[in-house]
Amino acid sequence: MKARWFFTIIVAALIFLAGYAALFVAPDEKTMHAVQRIFYFHLPSWIAMFSALCVVFYANVAYLVTKKRKFDALGVAGVEVGVMCCTIGLITGPLWARPVWGIWWTWDARLTTTFILWILYISYLLLRGLLEDPEKKATLSAIFGIFAFLDVPLVYLSNRLWRTQHPQPVIAGGNGSGLDPVMGEVLLLCVAAVFCVMVLVYIDRYRLELLRNECDELKFEIESRSVQAANLGGSATRRVGS
Amino acid sequence: MSTVRAAGILLGKELRLEFRSRELLSATIIFALVVVVLFSFAFDPTASESRRYGPGLLWIAFLFAGSLMLNPSFSREQINETLDALRMAPISPFAIVLGKMLANFIFMSLAELILVPVFAVLYNISLAGIVWRLVLVLMLGTIGLTVTGTVFSAVSAHARMRELLLPLLLLPILTPLLIASVESTASLFQELPALDRTWVAFLAGFDIVFLTASWLLCDYLLEE
Amino acid sequence: MKNFEFLLTAWIVVWAVFFAYEITVARRITQVREEIARLRQQLNGN
Repeated sequence: MKARWFFTIIVAALIFLAGYAALFVAPDEKTMHAVQRIFYFHLPSWIAMFSALCVVFYANVAYLVTKKRKFDALGVAGVEVGVMCCTIGLITGPLWARPVWGIWWTWDARLTTTFILWILYISYLLLRGLLEDPEKKATLSAIFGIFAFLDVPLVYLSNRLWRTQHPQPVIAGGNGSGLDPVMGEVLLLCVAAVFCVMVLVYIDRYRLELLRNECDELKFEIESRSVQAANLGGSATRRVGS
Repeated sequence: MSTVRAAGILLGKELRLEFRSRELLSATIIFALVVVVLFSFAFDPTASESRRYGPGLLWIAFLFAGSLMLNPSFSREQINETLDALRMAPISPFAIVLGKMLANFIFMSLAELILVPVFAVLYNISLAGIVWRLVLVLMLGTIGLTVTGTVFSAVSAHARMRELLLPLLLLPILTPLLIASVESTASLFQELPALDRTWVAFLAGFDIVFLTASWLLCDYLLEE
Repeated sequence: MKNFEFLLTAWIVVWAVFFAYEITVARRITQVREEIARLRQQLNGN
């Protein structure tokens, strides 16, 4: 519990610092000026999403191999958090694009890939909603999750080969890329802040799922005991006979 | 019994089942035709537009029709719980899945065999000189569609609203396949047709990745 | 600042989404905890 509170305070401080840095410490960008500062939250939300989805992939494989419910919990929590980060990215992106490019959206490589990704993982959640048996739900959504994760690089590659308008990678791309050092530090701070928030929310959602599983087990236990009691009462004579 | 032999026997069963009534095949073909015709109403394409948008239309028709056709693959087995019987047979789970994949591939290919010439006629696209290359592209695309579709048919068979769920799960996963197939087909429909090696390699890669994933996951797919 | 509304909206969206989600999760955790306590009581009562 204490560790949790400590972590929460650190995260709150990080958020505050990151926000301050993004708005006031980071230098103004040449062409886009203030609006470019959305970048300090746009990129970190993608990093957070990608991290969450990697954990989901691990959880999906682990569940199939071990059949332990905690991995299923880890999976669904991660997908919800991942979809949330994706939504944030899909909203902040157009908010940045509109003043800078003049358009809210375009069907270039990255945007299309991301949109598909968003739909894929929402489908994961939909699939879970439509499956009733808990074991089937866990197994089949794990299988779908693995397929979805394998698909992501393929979607990205196909879209990249196909079209591109999104700015070429700024940090690790080809010529002309590279970030101002102060911008780089602010970015790092913002990545840390958003990442930590994501982890916090992920842990909570994971705990919620584990608690729900516990609740279901208790309900099952109560039900089976009452069924047993009913049987005992009704078949007492038969039991004596055999 | 070896996997391949078992798959072959199951394939025979699926084919016999379908050719008794042929209802799935005819429904698939008619549906794809409807999509193709609707497109002409919605867009009224000129000759050059047909060549530009034709490949996209063709593959969307195949994907939609395929999504509908793949549904009964596993949901059919639930009516008399025949899947349990299959599971108890001394064959590997992959044999069951492979048998169904092969059957679906054959059905889809038959549908395409009829649809592509009809499409070429309706939109005045000449197939002269590109037939075999087109067959290659169609085959690679159809493999990806049926491999992934069969697996997802098994996944969605247990869920409610499976007719809606299968396309919902399948179509986003198949977007790379769609792009690659459309680009490959488009390069063949050009004035100077040429087989785009990059995209064809991509298609082959897609097929391999998903076939391998299906093979690795089929035990879990079919378990009780 | 030019285009400040966009920057502000983006900022609000980021934290509002996280915050709203965290609140719903926290509330559901409390609800489920209460239900577990109730079920345990019922179980021990029998």
